[in-house]
Amino acid sequence: MWLFMAPSVAVMALVLLYPFGSALYYSFTNHYLGGPTLRFIGLDNYTALLGEQRFWADMLTTMIIVIASVALQFVIGLAVALMLYALSGGVRIISLLNFLPHVVTPVVAGIFLKWMFVGRWGLLDATLIGLGIFPPDWLGDPVWAKFSVIMADTWKFMPFLMLVLYAGLQSFDTSLLEAAEIDGATAWQRLIHVILPMMKPLIAFVLAIRMMDAFRFFDLVYVLTNGGPGTATETITLYTYQLAFRMLEIGRASALGVITLIVVAGMIVVMILLMQRGGREAI
Amino acid sequence: MKRKARMQAILLTALILFTFVNLVPILWGFLISIKQPADAFAIPPRLIFEPTADFHIDVWVNRGFLSFLLNSGIIAAATVLISVPLGTLAAYGLARTRTKHAGKLLFGLLTIRMFPQILLAIPFFVMARWLGMIDTYPMMVMAMVAMNQPFTIWLMRSFFVDVPVELDEAAMIDGCNRWQAFTRIILPAVRPGLGVTALFSMLLAYNEFLFALILTGQHTKTLPVAIAEFGGEDINYWSISAAGAIGIMLPAVIFTLLVQRHLIRGLTFGAVKG
Repeated sequence: MWLFMAPSVAVMALVLLYPFGSALYYSFTNHYLGGPTLRFIGLDNYTALLGEQRFWADMLTTMIIVIASVALQFVIGLAVALMLYALSGGVRIISLLNFLPHVVTPVVAGIFLKWMFVGRWGLLDATLIGLGIFPPDWLGDPVWAKFSVIMADTWKFMPFLMLVLYAGLQSFDTSLLEAAEIDGATAWQRLIHVILPMMKPLIAFVLAIRMMDAFRFFDLVYVLTNGGPGTATETITLYTYQLAFRMLEIGRASALGVITLIVVAGMIVVMILLMQRGGREAI
Repeated sequence: MKRKARMQAILLTALILFTFVNLVPILWGFLISIKQPADAFAIPPRLIFEPTADFHIDVWVNRGFLSFLLNSGIIAAATVLISVPLGTLAAYGLARTRTKHAGKLLFGLLTIRMFPQILLAIPFFVMARWLGMIDTYPMMVMAMVAMNQPFTIWLMRSFFVDVPVELDEAAMIDGCNRWQAFTRIILPAVRPGLGVTALFSMLLAYNEFLFALILTGQHTKTLPVAIAEFGGEDINYWSISAAGAIGIMLPAVIFTLLVQRHLIRGLTFGAVKG
């Protein structure tokens, strides 16, 4: 059986493990493209980053965007999934149509959304002005730009949650729900006490996937704001991109990548622990 | 009964409204692409206008998007041709092994997916510069295979797990060796799964932006990079850009229709079978 796996494992060692290994190695060096020869500098890259204000600001921005957008898309996705679940006909066509934003090439999605948010010509501004409301500067104001980026991520990824949660609902044993209904539970009580606890493993799984992906969020924000105004929407990934491919600071950028990996891993572990504790309390 | 029918009607209306609002950005992009700029950005939005296909023709023919489409196609096809056979073999091996090591390997693959892409992009960039392989197809394909391989293995494995082991055993009792059982009996049984996996891995390569941004150049530029770079010096810039965006989106729409029954499985690494 191992013979079946050998080719794939060999290729992955070459194109995955070796590059990751070298990135880890670079993170301990002063590697700079076109600069003097590579020298081992221990943890200097890490301590320099942790002492930087830009690093902490970007980390905070990333956290805000990740938590707000994942929470928002989860709530909307769950609401739509529940509505689809209660609907008796036309579910397939509605869910397929709503799924489209998710498969659209991220860069293209960024362009579509730019035409919503862009000043004066954008559809949002045009509509608001038409209603006599003075619109905010969606992409140019530090606070509103964050809001726009969160909305963009929500638009792109809500369909993913909608579809997976709907599949989860469908795999239910309906007798439990019927029993709850006979016992006089309201729709809200059924959601809180029956549906959500039953879906807990699935919810933990999709939220973990979404948080990981949201943390490496790049394409959409690159097109929409490219981190601006200033660094108001600069995520950790955008900063790493700047370091590596604009300033060619390979060593420093690798260290930032490794820190991102550690933070994401930590986040996922905390989430799984929280979910498990919640699970035990429910029993 | 009457109350139930009314509930359904309200639900349906709400969902249709929601779907419409959700699709407004795409519809709006489409409208810009078939309007003259003067109509596209009139306030209030103009709904009655003379549609034009000029910008769609312009972007593909005069702005070189056809050659970027070719680049995207070459890279996506090569990625699928390498990634899917390798991944299928490994997935079969993993689906039919019940040792601790196999479980560890699977978990390891899932962990790799958690890694920030940019951490892989950096060494690929360094490697490509060192080998003088920036702006070549093989470099970009290698990066895409790296990104795709864990996903391909997990997804294919979920299809192999659906095929009962007894089928392998029956084939081997009838005189097939392991390899023959795999190629003659099992592989035909998972043919739909192969198609779905190939389509998903094609879409991943087609949509990829970060790697394309740093590894491709004048000769190998893909559609996402081209549309993101498309400059604003032209008066018709918005309309041409919209036409490009709509065109780039089309394969994704076709993809959704083709894999609609397997969307959930593909989205969740094969973990949830919708």
